[in-house]
Amino acid sequence: MKEILSSSHTGDSCIHVKHKSGLDIYIAEMNGFSSIEAIFGTKYGSVNTMFRNRDDKEYTVVPEGIAHFLEHKLFENEDCEVFELYAKTGASGNAYTSFDKTCYTFSCSKNYQENLKILLDFVQKPFFTQESVDKELGIIGQEIQMTNDSPEWRVMFNMLGCMYHAHPVRIDIAGTQESIAQITPELLYKCYDSFYNLNNMVLSIAGNVKADEVLAICDEYLRPCEDKGLEMVFPEEPDNIVKREIREKENVGASIFNLGWKCRPASGMDRLKKNIAAAMAGEFLTDVSSEMYQKMLMEGIINSTFAYEVFSGDGFFSLIISGESEDSDSIRENVIREVKRFISEGIPEKDFRRFQKGMYAGLVRELNNVEMVATVMSGAHMDGLSPFDTIDRLAELTPQDVLDFMSSELSDDKLVLSVIERMAE
Amino acid sequence: MKYDRIEIGDKIGLTTIIDEKFKSSLLTVRFIIPLDKKSTSDNAIGFSILSDANSQHKTIAELSEVLSELYGSSISSFTRKRGDLQILGITSSWLSNRYAIYGEDIQGGMLKIFSDCLFSPNAADGAFDDELFNIEQKELFDRIEAELNSKRSYAFARAAAVAFRDEPAANYSYGTRETAEASTAASAYAAYRHILETAVIEASYVSADPDPKIEEMLRKGFAAVERHPLPVQFISRSPLKTEPETVSEEFDVRQCKMVLTLKTPSEDIYAMKLLSIILGETATSKLFRNVREKLSLCYYCSCSVSMTKGTLIIDSGVERSNIEKAKAEILAQLDEACRGEITDEEINSALLYTDNALCQIGDTMSSYSGWYFERLCDGEVLTPQEIFSRYSSVTRERLTEAAKSLKLDSVYLMLDKEAK
Repeated sequence: MKEILSSSHTGDSCIHVKHKSGLDIYIAEMNGFSSIEAIFGTKYGSVNTMFRNRDDKEYTVVPEGIAHFLEHKLFENEDCEVFELYAKTGASGNAYTSFDKTCYTFSCSKNYQENLKILLDFVQKPFFTQESVDKELGIIGQEIQMTNDSPEWRVMFNMLGCMYHAHPVRIDIAGTQESIAQITPELLYKCYDSFYNLNNMVLSIAGNVKADEVLAICDEYLRPCEDKGLEMVFPEEPDNIVKREIREKENVGASIFNLGWKCRPASGMDRLKKNIAAAMAGEFLTDVSSEMYQKMLMEGIINSTFAYEVFSGDGFFSLIISGESEDSDSIRENVIREVKRFISEGIPEKDFRRFQKGMYAGLVRELNNVEMVATVMSGAHMDGLSPFDTIDRLAELTPQDVLDFMSSELSDDKLVLSVIERMAE
Repeated sequence: MKYDRIEIGDKIGLTTIIDEKFKSSLLTVRFIIPLDKKSTSDNAIGFSILSDANSQHKTIAELSEVLSELYGSSISSFTRKRGDLQILGITSSWLSNRYAIYGEDIQGGMLKIFSDCLFSPNAADGAFDDELFNIEQKELFDRIEAELNSKRSYAFARAAAVAFRDEPAANYSYGTRETAEASTAASAYAAYRHILETAVIEASYVSADPDPKIEEMLRKGFAAVERHPLPVQFISRSPLKTEPETVSEEFDVRQCKMVLTLKTPSEDIYAMKLLSIILGETATSKLFRNVREKLSLCYYCSCSVSMTKGTLIIDSGVERSNIEKAKAEILAQLDEACRGEITDEEINSALLYTDNALCQIGDTMSSYSGWYFERLCDGEVLTPQEIFSRYSSVTRERLTEAAKSLKLDSVYLMLDKEAK
């Protein structure tokens, strides 16, 4: 099945193909650009620690960090390292694992057909041995140490630990030294066979490409997969938070904070609408021209790092405000008061329109960037959406939607404050 | 793509790049001055104030509101170091009028704001507005304090302080707590005026939309400035220490950092850059394959080259117990290169990697802007394709000579406290 998807707002379009192998393929031919960005991704991230296929009697529970570990190991073929293959074409190959996805990418401006063959081939060809697993423990152990030295990373995971009782989003994507020590080649193959089924994956390619050439390579290289009825399970997660505050002293130069609401999770189009409403709420709460912002700026409580982020995925959703501050208690008080003010006074239409224009411009700019287009297409598919849904839904958003989001989700009892405090000198 | 560069004043250039694929525009004006430790904070604060407000929109709140009305357009300032030079700038980006939903003139609005920010800041009686100054001075204090939050870049900066001791490049581009404290609304304003008058200035405009008003606006603004530009040195090689120096500092960190600075008198920029790629800029480089993959000694071990100072820097994240092993292996890999043990495959891979990277220049507005600015600093404006032909002519012998010319100058170690 082949369809052309387009945006009535920007005129951009892409091709979507449901390939006979089971894979969903998105192609954006971008005139005038030299680069090509490809993403071959699976809906498998650090939160997927419990699953079974249709024919499995029992659920399989795997060690934390295994999705990220698998990502590292897939770069080793039986006969060579994948990077050596890319070195022959000049492409930059890479991969990343997030909470709910693992993506293999390449970026190039020449030889894209050869690079696409490499990408499709190695991701479909796992090769795990005890020796290679043992070797990776040291490298990933160093990666875990490095991220533990990042105060931004720690302040976020401390917050998630206070927010979620059982959902695995509270655990570091790379796991811990102890959890990765339990990983075996057999477990890696089990995860691979379950999640790296083409029915659970997406190929997204954008830039200086031709759709016919891409599809011809896909026909040649994709091995048809039977849909095994993968079922992912998450532990039951109550609506309430674990505790409202966590503070840790560290040898940092500036104290930092994350202030996040635990919101009810959503999926598909509902999540997209909620994401947009939450982003708009974030715009209001961090608006530089607002009285609250100016008051906190003048009092020296915040600086230009004061910002928001919408953080959502399978079974989790949060609106997070973050920044540097030596007085995060005051920030929490001010933000709570501001939310109450909006709920009582309503969302000003004029400010809503200017934020809407800014968000629209941001999306137009995304569609003018090869890497972002590939990311948007794969991300939207994994969320069960079309690449241009965001810009369409943004146009439909109303001030009432933002007010409803604030009223229903931004309550004080769901708010967590996480602080990494500077040690006294 | 259409490229054009004109002189619009004494040591003031304007580069225009018109490429119809873009949906937004980018205007940047860069000011190049010798880096002087005493004035870095004044310069940085002064430029930060420029993008906060102006004589028409006198507060951060006012300007921010107008920018968001103009489809979230941005205007910001920056300061960075390039060898012994400080480069300050103001940059602005906005959506093309073609995408304005209600037909607003975003371009016209932003040109006016840019002009007011650059040439007509919120200042009176020889000083910036006190409120803006206080905000930006505190921002700078916070930035200085936050340096340690990013361990890798902190280690990099400390390594530079050791390697370039007593040279301008040893300093941060925005100064220290002391220089920031010494700054005043008047001294920051004086610094801004001094930069307008004395800096070498390069403006660049990247867009799908040609607009003669850019040149007009800049000519008009600079016409009111009495210019007497100071000469700047883009290359200032750092002298090699008589003996390699090791400096170690302890912090509450879980992973140690090791930064090796090597220096070279070589002027073979293309051989040195290619050597750096072969040594440690890709996932098939000698350092990645051996130090990380084969010996599992660290998560990253990578290389970068700066011909402005004549240095090659290798940085890695490593456990304390592996520091000596990692250092020995890094130097062994460099020795291999000195002995000419660089395969055809390694050279071809580095060339292909370079070719791919160069061909991608022009796919973003910032890559165009940055590319042509760097070439002006190099003293020769070349296209990515012309530069690639120079890389292609590098031989194994030139790579070997480049490797041999590198001498270890200093080692900076960020150590963990617990593992004593």
